[in-house]
Amino acid sequence: MSAEADALPVGIGVCDCLTPLGDAAATHAALLAGRRALEMRPVLGRDGGDAVPLALCAPMDETIPPRWLPDLRRLVARIPGDAWGTAARPVIITSSNFGVGSLHAFTRDRDSRHLRHGPPFACVEMLQREFGWGDHILLLSHACVSAQHGLLQAARLLHGGAAGRVLVVTFDFVSPFVAGGFSSLKILNAGWPAPYAVRESGSIGLGDGAAFAVLTREGGAFRLAAHALHNEMFHFTGNRPNGAGFDAIAAAIAGAAQGRRVWVKGHGTGTLEAGRLEAEAFARALPDAPLVSWKGSLGHTLGSCGLVELAITLAALRAGRVPGTVGSTAPCFTDNVALADFAAGEFDGVVLDSNAFGGAHAATLLTHD
Amino acid sequence: MAMPDDLALRLKKLIVETLRLKDVRPEDIRDDEPLFGNTRFDLDSIDALELVLRLEKEFGLKIGTSEESRRALASVATLAEFIRQRGAGPRA
Repeated sequence: MSAEADALPVGIGVCDCLTPLGDAAATHAALLAGRRALEMRPVLGRDGGDAVPLALCAPMDETIPPRWLPDLRRLVARIPGDAWGTAARPVIITSSNFGVGSLHAFTRDRDSRHLRHGPPFACVEMLQREFGWGDHILLLSHACVSAQHGLLQAARLLHGGAAGRVLVVTFDFVSPFVAGGFSSLKILNAGWPAPYAVRESGSIGLGDGAAFAVLTREGGAFRLAAHALHNEMFHFTGNRPNGAGFDAIAAAIAGAAQGRRVWVKGHGTGTLEAGRLEAEAFARALPDAPLVSWKGSLGHTLGSCGLVELAITLAALRAGRVPGTVGSTAPCFTDNVALADFAAGEFDGVVLDSNAFGGAHAATLLTHD
Repeated sequence: MAMPDDLALRLKKLIVETLRLKDVRPEDIRDDEPLFGNTRFDLDSIDALELVLRLEKEFGLKIGTSEESRRALASVATLAEFIRQRGAGPRA
């Protein structure tokens, strides 16, 4: 099965993120300094459990209102006011979690107030009221490619003439329910994540993250030039062992990047098989492109990772320096993995790759002058 | 602690029961038969997850990583060896 990139260039107006290390600029600076946001914490929060790497903005309790609301308020305050939620200015909200942790808290505490922000629609309605957005809101959840899928949908709205500007907002905050699930799969364990490193055991970290981008029809200094989606349709949690899914997405976005000097902001969570398959696919498709992952510091921000890491990528381009693969040491699966930071000025494009449960892959080509 | 043969049979019964394997009798599973990637059982990672959680509860042991899980669950023999090495026994 082959994938092809959609050439739907859009401009990036404003874009920023929030991680436990701060906004995009602060997070970028911390990554350059090799700082790790992850800390060993009990997997079930106040209920204890094994210590696993989590990067949290606040203690992982299911509070009323939810613990993530103050963080989202701070982030949304940076979005320029523009009558968001109208037909011409729709909002796309993406997440893989929404308030799922609160649903779990409801089953535990039987406090119905958790339901006000537990189900995705209730969660989005709460945000709509909180931020004064209109009714033109698209809600999108597609596991860990959610945010990149949201960017593609925004580009389609803009190119179809259905909107003049689109606000894409994403957020995923870790809950005991989600951390417990990944812990049960044994990929969230007592080890620190080391993306693309050859090790005996793989491990991921989970992190809080939120971000937004305002996309426009007009081009700017930074553009999302092409988008590709692909689904292996192979298995809930596994990829085709021969790497065909990774090859398909890498080839599609490499085709769109032809003639450009690019680096790759990879997905790289720290699992062994998917990390190897991703690194090998990009080594084949874009052999001269350095590959980095920042999840060894930030953890995996799940459905939001595509936009959180886009914001950090923009901060890297503005600062002229790209953080390396924090948390990893040689040997790596392939020679294209960049462990150390490098100069951004040698390149005129970036490929952003995300992968998800269900065999979903998404890649975006970011170009700049 | 159960004798090795008893442990193997107990594990086979646990596998059939936990994963609701149809048309498979515990005694028909060979000790060295691959559990995963075997078309006779058609098990996947979600089955592995269920099995690991049941084993941890049943034997009071801890499987640390997905790679350790994969090695332990290769066959009934490797699983029994994994349990014996940790000195874990079935809980009443």
